Amino acid sequence: MEIRSGDELAFRQVYNEVFPVVMKVAYHVTYNQDVAEDICQDAFIRFYDKDMSFPSMDDAKFWLIRVVKNLAINHVKRKVRESASLEKVMRGPQVNPFKDGASELILKESTAAVRKAVSELPEIYKTVIVLREYAGLNYKEIAGVLKISESNVKVRVHRARKELEAMLNREEVNVP
Amino acid sequence: MCLDDQILNTYLDNELTEPWKSQVEEHLSYCPSCRARYQNLLQLSDTIKSSELTEEEIRPHQDRVLSMIEKNYLSKGKSKKSFFKRTFKVSGPQLMGVAAAFVVVFVGSWAVFGNSGSSDGQIILPDVNTTIDLNNITQTRSSDNATTSKSLENYSLDEILKNLDARGYDVDIRLKSIQPLSLDKMSSEVKVIATVSDKGITITSDGLARNADGTIVATGVLVDDKNEVVASDGTVLFTAEETQVVE
Ligand SMILES: [Zn+2]
Repeated sequence: MEIRSGDELAFRQVYNEVFPVVMKVAYHVTYNQDVAEDICQDAFIRFYDKDMSFPSMDDAKFWLIRVVKNLAINHVKRKVRESASLEKVMRGPQVNPFKDGASELILKESTAAVRKAVSELPEIYKTVIVLREYAGLNYKEIAGVLKISESNVKVRVHRARKELEAMLNREEVNVP
Repeated sequence: MCLDDQILNTYLDNELTEPWKSQVEEHLSYCPSCRARYQNLLQLSDTIKSSELTEEEIRPHQDRVLSMIEKNYLSKGKSKKSFFKRTFKVSGPQLMGVAAAFVVVFVGSWAVFGNSGSSDGQIILPDVNTTIDLNNITQTRSSDNATTSKSLENYSLDEILKNLDARGYDVDIRLKSIQPLSLDKMSSEVKVIATVSDKGITITSDGLARNADGTIVATGVLVDDKNEVVASDGTVLFTAEETQVVE
C-alpha cells in the first residue's frame, strides 16, 4: 500500500499509527515531554509538507523515527553545550527531573531510576536501546534507521544493557 | 563452553539464527548458571521496557499536536471554503462601481500562472464570470523539487498567505479593476432582460448589470421569479418595484 504523506487521509492514518512510537523515541532521548512534543510536531509537519511517497506504512514510520531521533539528539547536544557553559556560572545542585512529581505523573521509583540511567547513556548506546526497547524495532530495522551494520547494532545493544545494569545496580546500593 | 552475555542478549532479542539458536537452547536446558544469567538479562530488559512512556502520558501530546496540525495544515472538511469560493461570495456588492475585478496576489517567485505564465509572479484569482481552468493554476516551489505541485484550489486564502509570509515573501493583495467591454463588442446572443430605469441600469442575460454609460456595476446577477435583481451571493440589489422586466 503506497503512502502519500501529503494526502490528508494517508497522513491521518500514519499519524494515528506512528505518533505513539515517535513520541516514545523523542521522549526517551530527551526525557522532556514538552520538548518531545515539539519534536514530534516538527517531524509530522515536515512529513506532511514534503508530500513524499512511501512504499509502505513501515517505510513512513522509519522515516519519521529517523527524523525524530535526529531532532532529539540535536536537542540533547545543544542542551549539554548550554548546561556546560551554565554550570561554570551556577555550580548549584541540578534538579533531578526524574524524581520531580510536580509536573508529571508520580513515577514508580524503578521507572524514575531506569529513565535516569537511560538518559545518562552515551548517545550511541542510548539510541540503539531506545529503538530496541521503546520503539520495538528489530536489529535490521535499527540498522536501517541509524545507517549502521546489523552486527554493530548487536554489539551496541549488548553494551547498552551492560551499562544500564551497572548503573541500576549502583542505584540500588545507594538507596538506603 | 558457557554462553556469554552478547550471545544471550542476541538470543533474547530473537535475533539469533540457526544453528546457533538451537545450540543456545540446548545449552540453557542443562546449564543452571547460564539459565540464571539469561533470566537476569531478561529481567533487565523487562525493567527497561517498564519505564516506557505510557499511553496516558502520550495521549494529551498526540491530541494537541494533531489539533495544531489540523488547524494550520489539513483542510477542515466540508466547512472549508476555498479561496475561489470566497472570492465568488464577495464579488457581488463589493464590486459595485468597478467594471470587473480580479483579486491579484502579488508575490515573489513563489507562484506562476500556468506553465508559460507571467514571470512577474502574480497569481490571478479569477472572479466569478471568468472561465479560467482552475487546473492551470499551480503552485511551484523553486526550493523544493518540482515533483510537489498542487492546485491552488486546495488551499484557503489564509493558508496561502500564511505560507507566503512564513517564507518571507512580501504579499500584497489588491482588487484590480479592468475596463468595461464596449457595448458594440457584446455578443448578439446577450439580451437585455431587465432595466432599473430610475438608476439607468440595464441587466443583460450574461448576468451583467451596467450603468447607462456601459460600465459594469455588478457581475453574476440574475432576475428572480419575483422580479428582484439578485447578486451571486443572494443579496437583493434592486427590488421588484425598481425593476422593469423586458420580455
Ligand atoms: Zn553455561
